[in-house]
Amino acid sequence: MEQEKAIIIENLTKLYGKHVGVKNLNLSVDKGEIMGFLGPNGAGKTTTIRSSLALISKTAGKITIFGLDSHRDAVAIRKKTGYLPGDFGLIPSVKVKSYLKYLLSLSNHPSTKKMAELAERLELDLDRKTNELSKGNKQKVGIVQVLMADQDLIIMDEPTSGLDPLMQQEFYRILREEHRQGKTVFMASHNLAEVEKVCDRVAIIREGHLEVVEKIQALQEKTGKVLEVEFSDPVSVNEFRIEGVSEIQEDNGKLTLTIHENLDSVIAAVSRHRILNMNLRTYSLEQLFLKYYTEENRERGGA
Amino acid sequence: MIGKITVMELRTGVKGLLIFCLLVIIVAAAMPMIFPTYRDSIIEELEGANKVSLKLPTDEGDMITLSWEPLENATGYMVLEDNRSSMVTAKIKYIGAETSISFEKDFEERRYYAVMAELASAVDPVLVGIASTEVGEDPFQDLLDNPAYSGFTGGRSISMIEPKGFLTLEFFSWWWMLAGLFVAYQSVSVIANDFENKRMDVMLSTPISRRRYMLEKFFAMSAIALFIILVAIGGLAGGIANINALSEFSAETVFLSLIGCLPFLMVIVAVGMLAAVIFQKTRVGMGVTFAFVFAEFFLYTFGNFSKSLEWMKTVSIFAYWDYSSVIFDSLFKAGDFVILVAAAIAIIVISMWVFEKKDIPT
Repeated sequence: MEQEKAIIIENLTKLYGKHVGVKNLNLSVDKGEIMGFLGPNGAGKTTTIRSSLALISKTAGKITIFGLDSHRDAVAIRKKTGYLPGDFGLIPSVKVKSYLKYLLSLSNHPSTKKMAELAERLELDLDRKTNELSKGNKQKVGIVQVLMADQDLIIMDEPTSGLDPLMQQEFYRILREEHRQGKTVFMASHNLAEVEKVCDRVAIIREGHLEVVEKIQALQEKTGKVLEVEFSDPVSVNEFRIEGVSEIQEDNGKLTLTIHENLDSVIAAVSRHRILNMNLRTYSLEQLFLKYYTEENRERGGA
Repeated sequence: MIGKITVMELRTGVKGLLIFCLLVIIVAAAMPMIFPTYRDSIIEELEGANKVSLKLPTDEGDMITLSWEPLENATGYMVLEDNRSSMVTAKIKYIGAETSISFEKDFEERRYYAVMAELASAVDPVLVGIASTEVGEDPFQDLLDNPAYSGFTGGRSISMIEPKGFLTLEFFSWWWMLAGLFVAYQSVSVIANDFENKRMDVMLSTPISRRRYMLEKFFAMSAIALFIILVAIGGLAGGIANINALSEFSAETVFLSLIGCLPFLMVIVAVGMLAAVIFQKTRVGMGVTFAFVFAEFFLYTFGNFSKSLEWMKTVSIFAYWDYSSVIFDSLFKAGDFVILVAAAIAIIVISMWVFEKKDIPT
C-alpha cells in the first residue's frame, strides 16, 4: 500500500512561535498523479512543502517520501526529487547554462539533453547572464531546473508565476508529458484554472488546516453546473424549484441556476418561455473556491 | 562531485579577489621600497639625540641644565617635557632664543625633553633632538620599547632602522586587519548571500547535505585566504629583493612569517561562517565577525600590557601567529599553527551543527 504513495504527510504541525504555519495536516500524494495544492496566500502551502523537503523543521508529525523519512533521509529523498521554490534567486553573473549545469552536477545528472530541450520549448536563451533576466525568464530557468534532472517526484510552488499565457500553455503540455512518463507532481498554486487544467486531484488548505482533498471531476460534479438564461420577459423563480437545483436567482428576465441533477426537467421548464440567450457552463474552480470559503465564513459568522 | 561548490564559489568570487590582490601586491611590494627613505630620515633624528645634552644635579637643590647646539637660521627654540617617550602629553617647558636652560628638579620619575627649533624658512618647527633624564638611555629606543608598540612586536624591542623592525611595525602590524577583514567579509557573505538572495532552497534541494555545503564553502574561503597570503608573500619578497635586502630579510622568512597567518585567517573564516548561519544576514554577521576580530586583537594587546593580564593572550588568535619569532629568531611555531587549524575546524563543526538545526528562512 505504502509503495503506491509518493508522499505521506501525517499530523504535520509547524508553529512559528505562537503563529500556526500548519496544524495537524494529513495528506498523501499517489505515485504518478498530479496533485494540486490550493489555498490563499499564507494558508500553509509553502510551509507544508518546505517541511517535506527538510528546509524547515517540523513541530510535530511525520512526513514520508518514497518510504523515506523527510528529515532523517533528506539527502536520499533529494536524489529523487526536484523542487521549484515560489521565490528563488540565481547565482549572479554566470550564464544560465553554467548555472543549470552546476545544479545538474550537484544532482549527479551529467546529461544536459533535457535541459536543452526544455529551454528550447520555453524559448529560454541559455547564453544569457543570470542577472540580465526578466521575471518571466527567471521563472523559466526555475522550470527547467526542476525538470531537467528527470526526478521521480516534482514539487513546485507557484510554478507559473510571471509566465505569459503562451508559456503557461507550453508548461502545462510539458507537465502532462511528464505525467504520462509516470512522474509524480505536487504543485502548490493559487491559480485555480491552472490546477483545473493539469491536476488529477486537489487538496485545499486554509489557515494551516486541510479543508478538502478531492478529484477535480468529483469536486466539479458536487458543485454542479451553472445555467444562465436570458428570457424576453420576467419569469417566476418558483417554476424552477426542481429537485437537484440550487441557488436560483432571477433579475428582470435573467435567470441563473446551479444544477446538480435533473438537467432535462430544468431544460423543459426553461423551454416554456421565450429564450433570448442561454449558457451552460462548468463551475470553475475559482468560483468553487470562492463559494467554498464564503459558505464556510457564513457558517462561522452564524456560529 | 566533490568540490563543485568550492569551484563555483571561487569562480564567481574571482573578480573581487583579483582586485583585492592588486591592492595586496601594491602595499606588500611598496612597503620595503619605502624603507631606505624612512631609514635615512630616522637616522637623522637619532643623530639629533646627541645634539641635546642634559646635566642632572649631583646635590639636592641643584638645577637641571639642558643645552643644545644652535641651529642655523633658527629664530627661536621650544622645549617640550613629558614623562613618556612618545611625547603625547608633552607640556611646553620653555620658549625663547637661548640654547641652554636650567630648572629645578621637581619630579622623581623619568622625564623626556624634546627641543624644537623655529626656522624662518619653514612653517612648522623642526626637531633639534631629544634627551632623557635616565643616564645612558637612548630615548629613541625608549620610544620603540613603549608598550603601545609591544602589542605588535610580541613584547620585544625592535630597531626601526633595520628591515626586520621596519616591516614588523609597518607591514605585519596591520596586514592582519587588511587580510582578516577581507576574509571576514567574504566568508560571511558567501553564506548569508545564499540566505538573503533566496538561493538556499534550490541549493538544498540538490542531494547536497548541509554539512557538505558548509565544508565546501569553508574550503573555498580557505583557498582564497591562502591565495592572498601567497600574493602578499610574492609582493613582499619582490619589494625586499628590489632594495637588495634579501640578505637581511630572506624569502624564507617572508614565507614562514606570512604562512603562519593562514590558520589565523581560517579561524576568522570559520567564525564568519558561524555568524552567517546563526544570523543569516550579511550585515549582522559582518558586524559580529568584525567585533570578534577586534576583540581578539584587544585581548592580545591587553595581555601584553601587564603580567597579570597575560592570560588574555591564551584566548586570542593573535597569540598563535607569532610572526616576530620567525622574523627575529628564525623560529616557526608549528604547534601554534596546529592549534589555530584545530580551532578553525572546531568552529566549522559547530557551524555545521547549528546549520543542521536551523530553518531556512523564506
